[in-house]
Amino acid sequence: MSPVSKIKHFIQQSWLLIISSFCFGLLIAIANAAWSPRIEQNRIYKLNRLMGELLPAAKSFELTVEMKVELAKGKRVKSNIYKALSDEGGCVGWAFNCEGPGFQDKIELVVGVDKDLEKVAGFNVLASNETPGFGDQIKLGYYRSQFVGVPAEKLELVKTGDDERIDSEIVAISGATVSSEAVVKIINLSLPQIKEQMKEKGLIGNAR
Amino acid sequence: MDTLNILLIGFISIVIVKNLVLTKFLGICPYLGVSGRIDMAFGMGMAVTFVVTLSGTLTWMIDHWVLMKFGLGVTRYVCFILVIAGAVQLVEMYVRKFFPFLYKSFGIFLPLITTNCAILGLCLFINLWGIDNLLEAVVLSFGAGIGFTMAICIMAGIRENLNLADVPECLKGAPITLITAGLLTLAFMGFAGMIR
Amino acid sequence: MPGEKQATTELYKRTLVAGLWNENPVFRLLLGMCPTLAVTAAVKPAFTMGLSVIFVLVCSNIVVSFMRNLLKPHLRILMFTLTIATFVTIADLFLRAFQPRMSEVLGPYVPLIIVNCIIICRAETCASKNNLIVSIIDALGMGVGFTLTLCVLAGVREILSTGAIWEIPILPAGFVPWAAMRMPVGAFITLGLLLALVNAVSKRKY
Repeated sequence: MSPVSKIKHFIQQSWLLIISSFCFGLLIAIANAAWSPRIEQNRIYKLNRLMGELLPAAKSFELTVEMKVELAKGKRVKSNIYKALSDEGGCVGWAFNCEGPGFQDKIELVVGVDKDLEKVAGFNVLASNETPGFGDQIKLGYYRSQFVGVPAEKLELVKTGDDERIDSEIVAISGATVSSEAVVKIINLSLPQIKEQMKEKGLIGNAR
Repeated sequence: MDTLNILLIGFISIVIVKNLVLTKFLGICPYLGVSGRIDMAFGMGMAVTFVVTLSGTLTWMIDHWVLMKFGLGVTRYVCFILVIAGAVQLVEMYVRKFFPFLYKSFGIFLPLITTNCAILGLCLFINLWGIDNLLEAVVLSFGAGIGFTMAICIMAGIRENLNLADVPECLKGAPITLITAGLLTLAFMGFAGMIR
Repeated sequence: MPGEKQATTELYKRTLVAGLWNENPVFRLLLGMCPTLAVTAAVKPAFTMGLSVIFVLVCSNIVVSFMRNLLKPHLRILMFTLTIATFVTIADLFLRAFQPRMSEVLGPYVPLIIVNCIIICRAETCASKNNLIVSIIDALGMGVGFTLTLCVLAGVREILSTGAIWEIPILPAGFVPWAAMRMPVGAFITLGLLLALVNAVSKRKY
């Protein structure tokens, strides 16, 4: 077969495929163009809502810096630091996301801290896949309220203790030791590194 | 040393802790259909391992070096499934021509595998977990195949014995297999939390 | 021609009912198992998944039915796959834009509709051989049958694992939830028992 008739044969066989690929591509492009701003908006809205729960005084959040946090065994993950701004534009705190291995899968948290990174304002769970009814309780107010106002230093998980007292001892959820410990570990690993990197960049103590 | 550690842990986690069939519900159709006899089950498992390693690697490469570079992330699903279908076709032609003995042992399963959720599912999970180096993607894909093979062989072993047991009429076939799979899942739950 | 018209309406009715019971995709044809087990932890995600499948089924059946006389035999499966993948991408984008919470819960199982055996089977056996109306009715029947099955399974699992359906509490507060129902164990065992029930009812065998 000469080259021209080969091409003709090819087109004869696959013209439908070529035309429909083009049409489908167009359809997908239209759908994407129409909806991707809204998808992005959803993502930002969700993050803002979760961060807003932790730092109620904030009116808006501004992405300040992206840094890499090193987890155990050399794995590095990206962490976004957001500056919480009041209506006048003053800094009322910081929020960052961090992650680490949990019982079933990885746990992603968003942690809020005050403006000098001295006290933790609390955490919210972005994504987790823990055992329903047990590890899932890290999302509940009982466990999360223990983190509000604790000092931003090494936290310790204990099995029994006073869960009303605000200090660096966190009482584990009964029946969900691994998940509780995972949250404490994530905060213990990420917070010091973020503190150090922010000090290097001169962002703390620079509350404007 | 660290890389080796991560790879080893990733491999073990995907074979046992995050087994595709028993925890992520992927590949159930062939799991129920082909697990009647151990030799068929092993053949299917080998075919799946072969295809999934190849597909996982190819789709990771295309995703990272083409789709993300040019911002074409929205065509990800179409590209993945076409790559998988194409890879399976090529593999089948190649194996049939050059390795006839291999073809005899698992070749017949190859066309069935294109619609196996496990392959596309694994490619999407690798994308979801944000794996960012090629070696890890290869190891995870291979581990997924090995996990599938292990699960299907265990099931085949149990089903061969179930054939001799006194199963009630309405439970014969798919129902009892599903219940057995459920109990297997329960057993494998004991491995959760093994990898910290 | 009244006889012909009657025959056509009979065909439509038969096709519609087939998808709901006789050829119910999950309980009879044993297709589409993967999403059935994965998303039925609660009724809301199951319903959302069912609606997405109906959308993709109807659209792909329409397109395939239009093209049925133009398809070259060896490129058939490729065309089906391409069509289905496009509509699944559109459905996924829609879910991520307008139902972000459901999209998160369903996660990677929405793109897995592409390899859902139901859709490609219907395209192969029905849409590529029948005219537009029959294809649409078949798609609707199969899709609704699938959605109902998913919702039944999800209903059982949700009510036993949280005492609520569609997040509306139904069982009294003293009910101790069966956490196992939300995990893979519950999925497999519930589906197995439901299948056994369907077998028992339809074949009158115990």
